[in-house]
Order: sequence, then structure tokens, then C-alpha cells
Amino acid sequence: MALRLRISLLALVLGFVLILLRLFYWQVVKASELSQLGVEQYGAVRKIVPQRGDILASDGFPLATSKITYQVYANTKVVEKVDQTSSLLSTILDMDEASIAAKLSLDKYWIGIKNGVDAESKSKIEALKIPGIGFEQEYSRFYPEASMAANLLGFVGKDNLGDNKGYFGIEGYYDRLLHGKEGSAIEIMDATGRPILARADSNSNGVDGGSLVLNIDRSIQFLVDRKLKSAVEKYGAESGMIGVIEPKTGKILAMASYPSFDPANYSKFPSDSYINHFVSSLYEPGSTFKPLVMSAALNENKVTANTKCPSCEGPVSVGGYDLHTWNDKYYPNTTMTEVIQHSDNTGMVYVAQQLGLDKMLEYINKFGIGKLTGIDVQGETSPEIKPKDQWYAVDLATTGFGQGINVTPIELLTAFASIANDGKMMKPHLVSEIRYPDGKKTDVSPQEVGRPISTENAKVMTEILVNAVNKGEASYMRLKGYRVAGKTGTASIPVQGHYDPTKTIASFEGFAPADDPKFAMIVIFNKPTAAIYGAETAAPVFFDIAQNILNYYHIPPSQ
Amino acid sequence: MKRYKAILALLILLILVLGVIRVGISNRISTGGVELGTIEDEISFYRTQNLIYKEKIYTLSSLNHISSEAAKVGFVDSKASLAIGSSLPIAAR
Repeated sequence: MALRLRISLLALVLGFVLILLRLFYWQVVKASELSQLGVEQYGAVRKIVPQRGDILASDGFPLATSKITYQVYANTKVVEKVDQTSSLLSTILDMDEASIAAKLSLDKYWIGIKNGVDAESKSKIEALKIPGIGFEQEYSRFYPEASMAANLLGFVGKDNLGDNKGYFGIEGYYDRLLHGKEGSAIEIMDATGRPILARADSNSNGVDGGSLVLNIDRSIQFLVDRKLKSAVEKYGAESGMIGVIEPKTGKILAMASYPSFDPANYSKFPSDSYINHFVSSLYEPGSTFKPLVMSAALNENKVTANTKCPSCEGPVSVGGYDLHTWNDKYYPNTTMTEVIQHSDNTGMVYVAQQLGLDKMLEYINKFGIGKLTGIDVQGETSPEIKPKDQWYAVDLATTGFGQGINVTPIELLTAFASIANDGKMMKPHLVSEIRYPDGKKTDVSPQEVGRPISTENAKVMTEILVNAVNKGEASYMRLKGYRVAGKTGTASIPVQGHYDPTKTIASFEGFAPADDPKFAMIVIFNKPTAAIYGAETAAPVFFDIAQNILNYYHIPPSQ
Repeated sequence: MKRYKAILALLILLILVLGVIRVGISNRISTGGVELGTIEDEISFYRTQNLIYKEKIYTLSSLNHISSEAAKVGFVDSKASLAIGSSLPIAAR
């Protein structure tokens, strides 16, 4: 009897243990899976796309912001007259009637017809009261200034999951911050899977994107964009670039490349036009590199402004190569001030040789050539500087006048601006403030990244550059009454082991007012055809923009 | 015994009163959800309208728009700018 009782008890206990194990399996092990199945049965998880943050100019005006658009969709089971509906929609949505009709012919509760429809078109469709046609609100990127600073801003496209993603420029560099965090909501369905007309649960954990305030001055950027476009067309150049920096802080006031694109319709433009060549392209700077080499030689006491060149009476032979001046004019016993004034290549060969290879490499490094500047924009690149044992005598000589060495425009502008800032080199930066959705703000402070030359030598170099503007090749364009420091550049373009004799990169760099610089600027034209020299193409554009900026800043003439 | 009966009656009365109050309050707030929904819809509507107006304001106040409108009414770029040097012009006599 006792045995039978025990067996019964054991069977009962075993049964309970099995039930407990099964309960543990369903309640703990499979809990999340079952929960998910339950959710899927009565509703669908919908992604709540956060509102992308704005990109503002220094005056607070948005260069990129979000606007409301609508996705037009149809419940084809409710649509009554397919042909008539297709015809009406095609006129308002500017779409092919046949493609709309094809979508409406499918037997579906929901099918998307068109994205990015504006409020006006939506109102027109609503007024028609077409059965089965609905709207889903969404955000699209909106650029109030159209293609202004397009290469700098980048654009917003889709990633491989169909989500918004910033590409190129600031949109690409700050994508995570601008994008924000996606939330989710549950849309309740009935037994047949049709959405019930109920509010989706809005208690999501999404966060809207942060906004960026740039150092870009909208007025200067507008001016630069417009002048660059007309100059590229006027001089028949393949492309052009202009950058404007505040030397004392490293703030980028304007940056433009042309040809450009419309970020709102980026897919209609060739992908090459998305590239911000100001930070992504390498080129041989030619004579605009001379101020850096001369500054280095002054700083090392290898030359002074009045040192006379003992080897400038004719072409210089180095390592079996004859090095000429750009116009084959020679100035025996010319001073270093005049070497820059005449853009004398033989004089710069002398300076480079006086400096020597070790010091040349040291100053290339000090000026940040061959290193990323760290500018906060996507796509920055940097040239590779050859190791010391691969330099020949002729390489040192040609580097003196900016050939045989590569730079990016942003590298050169940053280095050149240090001459305007008493020898202090500042990190170039675009963003001045980050605004978070919770109201917090972060300021981006100017950052000194080096001091390649002394204050005294920066002042001497400034005077040499003022003399170059007043008496050099571009003196006819100089601004009356203002002291402007600057240097022209006409660089040959290397093509398959030699230099193309017909094509150049024409440029001009400068800063003003020379005694208390408010801006430094570089203007570059790639392969201009109307004239090949920097003095005839880039210099007039530089002085035109400089005059406008000086007026804009209310800076009166000093002389 | 009498006291217990009184307490019991009081409790029953309290339950009845609270029940009636609850019914009254429930009745009053039963349509609150609809009102809240309407308010939320209104907020959403005004938010949308704000964004649409913002878009129009930005478009109209953009430098691109202003410069094209200025060109239409005859404003053109100045081809030359006048600069007065540091010595101001003074009449000789």
C-alpha cells in the first residue's frame, strides 16, 4: 500500500517537475520570442524617423534644414476608377500615368506611389477626394540657399537599408550627430492584417538630431560662390576653388568648388561634382609655395630680406637639369624681397639650397604639409612626403619654387595663414557650436597647432608679400589704399613623367589688411584657357573678392 | 452589537457614496481621451504649418532669392569702388 502511495506521489512530483520545466522553457527561455510573435500578431513595429538636425551659417540662417513632405500611397482595394485616378495623380505628381496605373492594379492594402511630395501638391490631391489615396508625413532635406556651399555641405541620401545617411562634406562628417536616434512605435492591426485607424504608440525612445552652427559667413560664401562660377566660365577653366580663413582663429569663412551640384537633386549630377576638391585634391602649388620656403630660410637666418642672390644671373643647373625663371628674365644680385616680387625660380633655388634638405623637410613638417589639417569635413586627404633618402638635389631645388611637391589647398591655406597670424598656425575648423536637442550647447574653440616661424620673421615675410603685391606681376590689380600681402602662382601640371607645357594651375594667395589680417584667401583655377597665368586669372578674382570683404567688414583704406 | 451595526451601515454607505462619485468622475472624464486626441491633432497640425511657413520664409529670405529679385528690379554689381585715402580732401581756400 505504502509503495503504491509512494509511486503515485513520485509520479505526481515528476509531473509537476515536468510542468515546471516546460513553464520555465516558455516563460524564460522563449519569453522574448513569444512576446515578439504576440506583437506581430496584433500590430506592426514602425520606425519613427528622427528629424535631422540643421546646419546653420554663422548668422543662424539654415544652409540645410528639414522640411515636411509626404509619401502618397494607395489602398488599391478601395480605389474605384483606376484609369481616372491614375490620370489625376499623374498630372499633380508629375509622374507617368502608366506607372501609377500599374501600381493601382495590384491587389494590395498599401502601396507607395511617390515620396517627397510637397504640401501644395498634397492639398491639390486632397481636394479631389479620391477614395483609397492617403498620405504619410516624412522629412526631406531642404537647402534654402540651393547649391550654395554644396561641396562643403554634402548631401543626404539613403544607405543600403533605405535609411537616411549623410554623404560627403559636413553631412557625411557629422552624420551620426545630425541623424539622431531612431525610435519605434506599434501600429495595431486587425485579424486580417489591416491597420486599425488608431494612433500609433508615440512613446518611443527616439531622439532628434543635433544642429551645427558653422563659421561660414553666408554673405562671404554667397559672394565667393558667385565670383568663382563666373570666373571659371570667364577664364575657360576646367574647375576652380576658393577658400577664405580667419587667420587668428582658423575659422573657415567660405569654401567653394566649381563645378558644383544641387544637394537637393544630387542624383542628377555626376558623382565627381560631389567631391570637395579644396580638401580632397592634391596639386603642385608652384609659386604660392615660395612664401613658405622663404619664411623657413628667414627663420633659420639663412637669408634676410636684403640678402642678394649670387646665382640669379641665368638658368641654374642642378643634377643635370637646367632650371629657368617663368619668363626667362634674370636679375643678377637680386634681393630676397625682389625674388618674391619677380617670382624668381632661380632665386628660390638659391634659398632652398641655403636651407638644405634637413631643414626643408623640418619646415615642410612644421607647416603641416603631408599631414591632415584635421578640418571637420569628410574626405580630407594629404600628400605623402618622400623619405629623406629618396630626395635628389634637383628635388630640393624645385621644391623651393613649389614644383615636385604636392599639397591640398586647405593645407596650403592653413600654412600660409600662419604668416598672417604672427607665425602661429591655427587648426582650420568649420563648426563653431553644436546644439543638442535637449538644449545643451558645445562651443568649438580655436586651436593652435604649431608655430612654424617667429613673430619677427612673420612680419618680415608679410612686408615681402606686400611688396610683391605692390610691385609684382599683379600690381595693376592691387587695391588702392589697402595694404594687401599676397603671391601669385602658376604651376605646371605633371603628366606621365613630364610637365604639360600648355596647361597650368593658376592661383593667388593673400591676406588683408596686412597689418591686422581679417582674412586669408586662396583662389585656384585648374587649366584656365583664356590666360594661363595666376596674375591674369586668379589675382583679379582675389582682389575683387577682397575688396568686397573689406567693404563688408567696414574696413577703411589705411593709406 | 449596536455599535457594530452602525459601523457596518456606515461602511456600506461609504462604499455606495464612493461608487456614485466614481461613476460620476468616470462619466465626466470618459470623453477626455477624445479631447486630448483632438488637442494632439491640433498641435501636430500647427507644428506642420509652422514647418511649412518656415520653409517659405527661408526660401524668401535666402540670398539667392533676394539677389535674383534685386536683379529683376535693376540692382547690379558695382564695377568700381571709390576709396578715399588717409588725407581727407580739404578745400584750398
